[in-house]
Amino acid sequence: MNGELLVFAAASAVAIVSALAMLFQKTPVKSVLSLVVTFFALAVLSVLLAAPFVAALQVIVYAGAILVLFLFVIMLLNLTQEAAERETRVVHRFLSAVSVLALGGILVGVTWRSGAPPVPVSASLNAIPATGVDGEIPMLGRLLFTDYLLPFEALSVLLLLAVVGALLLSKRRFE
Amino acid sequence: MTYPLWLIPALPLAGFLVNGLVALIAGWQRAAGRTAAWREAHPDAGHGDHGHAPHGGGHGHDDPAGHGHDSHGAHGHGPSVPALPYWQRLFHGVVGVGATGLSCVLALGVVVPFVRESLASENGLPAVVETAYRWMSAGPYVLDIAFRLDALSALMLSFVTFVGTLIHLYSVGYMQDEEGFGRFFAYLNLFMFSMLTLVMANSLPVLFIGWEGVGLCSYLLIGYYYDKDFAAAAGKKAFVTNRVGDFGMVLGIFGIFALFGTADFSFVDMARHGAMNGHAPLSVYAVCLLLFLGACGKSAQVPLYVWLPDAMAGPTPVSALIHAATMVTAGVYLVARCSAVFVLAPDALTVVAWVGAATAIFAASIGLAQNDIKKVLAYSTVSQLGYMFLACGVGAFGAGMFHVFTHAFFKACLFLGSGSVIMAMHHEQDMRAMGGLRPKIPQTYWTMMIATVAIAGIPPLAGFFSKDQILGAAFGAGHPGLFAVGLVTAGMTAFYMFRLARMTFFGTFRGSKEAEGHIHESPATMTVPLWVLAAGALGLGFLGVPEVLGGSNTFMRFLAPSLAASHPHEVSIATEYLLMGMSVAVAAAGILVAWRWYGAAGATPQVPSVQADAFYRGTGPLGPIVANKWNVDEGIEALVLEPFRKIGTALWRGFDALVIDGVINASAFLVELTGDLARFFTTGNVRNYILTLTLGVLTFTLYVWIR
Amino acid sequence: MNPATMSAAAAAGVSVMSVAPSAYLVVGTILFAIGLAGALLKRNALSIFLSIELMMNAVNLLFLTYARMRGDAAGQMVVFFVIAIAAAEAAIGLAIFVALFRARQTVDVDKINFLKW
Repeated sequence: MNGELLVFAAASAVAIVSALAMLFQKTPVKSVLSLVVTFFALAVLSVLLAAPFVAALQVIVYAGAILVLFLFVIMLLNLTQEAAERETRVVHRFLSAVSVLALGGILVGVTWRSGAPPVPVSASLNAIPATGVDGEIPMLGRLLFTDYLLPFEALSVLLLLAVVGALLLSKRRFE
Repeated sequence: MTYPLWLIPALPLAGFLVNGLVALIAGWQRAAGRTAAWREAHPDAGHGDHGHAPHGGGHGHDDPAGHGHDSHGAHGHGPSVPALPYWQRLFHGVVGVGATGLSCVLALGVVVPFVRESLASENGLPAVVETAYRWMSAGPYVLDIAFRLDALSALMLSFVTFVGTLIHLYSVGYMQDEEGFGRFFAYLNLFMFSMLTLVMANSLPVLFIGWEGVGLCSYLLIGYYYDKDFAAAAGKKAFVTNRVGDFGMVLGIFGIFALFGTADFSFVDMARHGAMNGHAPLSVYAVCLLLFLGACGKSAQVPLYVWLPDAMAGPTPVSALIHAATMVTAGVYLVARCSAVFVLAPDALTVVAWVGAATAIFAASIGLAQNDIKKVLAYSTVSQLGYMFLACGVGAFGAGMFHVFTHAFFKACLFLGSGSVIMAMHHEQDMRAMGGLRPKIPQTYWTMMIATVAIAGIPPLAGFFSKDQILGAAFGAGHPGLFAVGLVTAGMTAFYMFRLARMTFFGTFRGSKEAEGHIHESPATMTVPLWVLAAGALGLGFLGVPEVLGGSNTFMRFLAPSLAASHPHEVSIATEYLLMGMSVAVAAAGILVAWRWYGAAGATPQVPSVQADAFYRGTGPLGPIVANKWNVDEGIEALVLEPFRKIGTALWRGFDALVIDGVINASAFLVELTGDLARFFTTGNVRNYILTLTLGVLTFTLYVWIR
Repeated sequence: MNPATMSAAAAAGVSVMSVAPSAYLVVGTILFAIGLAGALLKRNALSIFLSIELMMNAVNLLFLTYARMRGDAAGQMVVFFVIAIAAAEAAIGLAIFVALFRARQTVDVDKINFLKW
């Protein structure tokens, strides 16, 4: 029994439990906060998977920016509680539950039995260095500006468009 | 020596393009101007009316008896449509006549040396073939757009361009009051292009381009007065009837291809040497008959002749150029061109001969009783074409081509003369309303009389020599029956032609006093071509004076290399003289009868009425049937068209409405049903969409997982 | 993980994982299923959106796991892009919800069914 396994078990449990909490919370604000916990747990798992940079992004962008944005909107719209009426769509609920369980069951079964990993692509330029944190971020930066330059630039355009689109959509009148 | 052969058809094509474009643009402008003027004159007219100036309202020419009048000019269109301005007419005329005239000069410049050298050499010159470009090639089969100059095409080339130029010139005068002046010349030039392609083609497919091109121009020009129902109907009739022939023509071309492995005219030499694919799925007999079916359609032979009389709905120069001198002889040209193939199938030749003979006598008999001056000439044309096929059928291809040649001149002259008469009469075509025109239009009279004598077969005019050679060949080839038919037809020809002359030019004028005052001679652009053609009718027969009359028959000698060896007929000189005497005697008899019947006072009534016509008194009960063209149109209507309509109706009701529509309606119903079902899922609720998506993913995952 | 593969991976310079990678995969899959259930069952548009974010993160976890298993940084790059696109998507989506709320005074998707033709 080593440290990695302990950390993994704890982080996984937290992630799943808080995700379930998000699912069953009636209040949107509480849902968002539960999800923040899940994302932190996921960040821990990312560190375990030798991706500390992604873990940082997870915390900064997801937990720090996107979910805060959610909170802003929820508060702006003053959504305190989900509508009080009872769910009437029995068939919908049933079918949803069945399909989620079936799909989840199949996927869990398949991933659990996926067994040994493929042979590592050690010769690749993209190989993750075994030396740990120091070697990884410079390599990702190099990749971003060489192999992934075009998607990277496209992404910048996309973000700009998102800004413009968000501005346009939140204007009071469309004329 | 290089021949600029491709230029000869290219010039009229250029003329067509120039004239057609200019006429189109000018027509748009005129129509726009007329619309504006009409709007101005009818300021209160709502938007529902489209501004078209009414075209001269009703006119007296919609004759239910099918007399396709060449209604024309101011009379047909009413005063609201003016003639073209002078400079526009000048332009169209110069371009149209110029293109054809230049083409004629080029053609003669090529043909004359060719003829001279050919006659000087022992066996004639070999054919000159000039390839413009490669049309298609598939494996060993190659098809070029190539033009050919040999004796046969030189002959066709010379008279097609020459007569064509004269008729173009004539049209400048004849069509001067027409708004569609430019359109007319564009079509006429397009026709010249197609006809020249036809006669100069070096292969059957290229010939077929011209063949269809002249058919198209024929349709366009018959329907030149497109606002007249009968003209449009006549155009359609010509086109559809020709389709029947062209169907045979196309199959015939395929047959030639199957027999010889090539469709260019080298197959003629192959046929001459007997180099033929013996295992072809078609017999030579069948191929010849198929080609002849095409010739029948184009050259108006029984039973496909019905379109030609109706084609007189076109302007008279068109009748002269297309439906007398050039296009309708294309069938004879085709048979002569393929003569080497036809002689391989003697039975097919017999069919050709008898169809020709039947057409000759049948059409002539109808021509006896026609009162429309152009209809007489139309049936005469059909009859003369029958003569040409008769000649080909007895193996005398040269005699047939000689008749094509002479006929082009005298029949063009007759048609142009009739056009001049019609113009003088202000578009009256009924001969019963004419009479005594001789002193009023002397030039027309003289030229037409020359042509009339020529076609009647009186020596020494052109028609005598060519007709006599046909009759002599028929007799010499051992077909006394064919000879007899030809002889009777010759008598009939003389009768109806002199009946025409008698009714038109002699006696007293039977029309109104007012009409008499307006009669005038045609302008020089019309009389000059008449005189040139009359001179041709007068003298061209001497090109083919037979040996027995002391000539050398230059014409036959020149044509011989292009044609199958014709059987020299073994008749004694005495017999030949006897035959000539008989044909002249029969012609003279026909003339005499016509003169007697129609010379009597009251032979043609003042007011046209069927009963009082001298013809009916002379022929008894047969008269009315002949006058109604042997009821052929009615017979076709009852025996062909009516069953067709019945079958069509049955198919429409039984197959189209039930099966086809049923299938279509059923598929539409299925789509509607599917849509109704699918609409159930389109609730507009996002959660339902998510669920549907999830179920879809689940299904897909299950499929992959189970597999 | 069998020893042979482990030694091969070690020889290639890739750090050896002591937890079976399929465990990470299973955690990711469970999170995905929870997100899916949220997307299906929640009625609040914002909550549905939130669930979708969870699903994306679950998939991110799978990507990271595979990147680790293959020793290839391409998986991490994909996650990087997914996060960036998620940010853009959140901005637009939330703007849409604000506009929607302005027009309908609700974000309950059961009450918003004008996606019908």
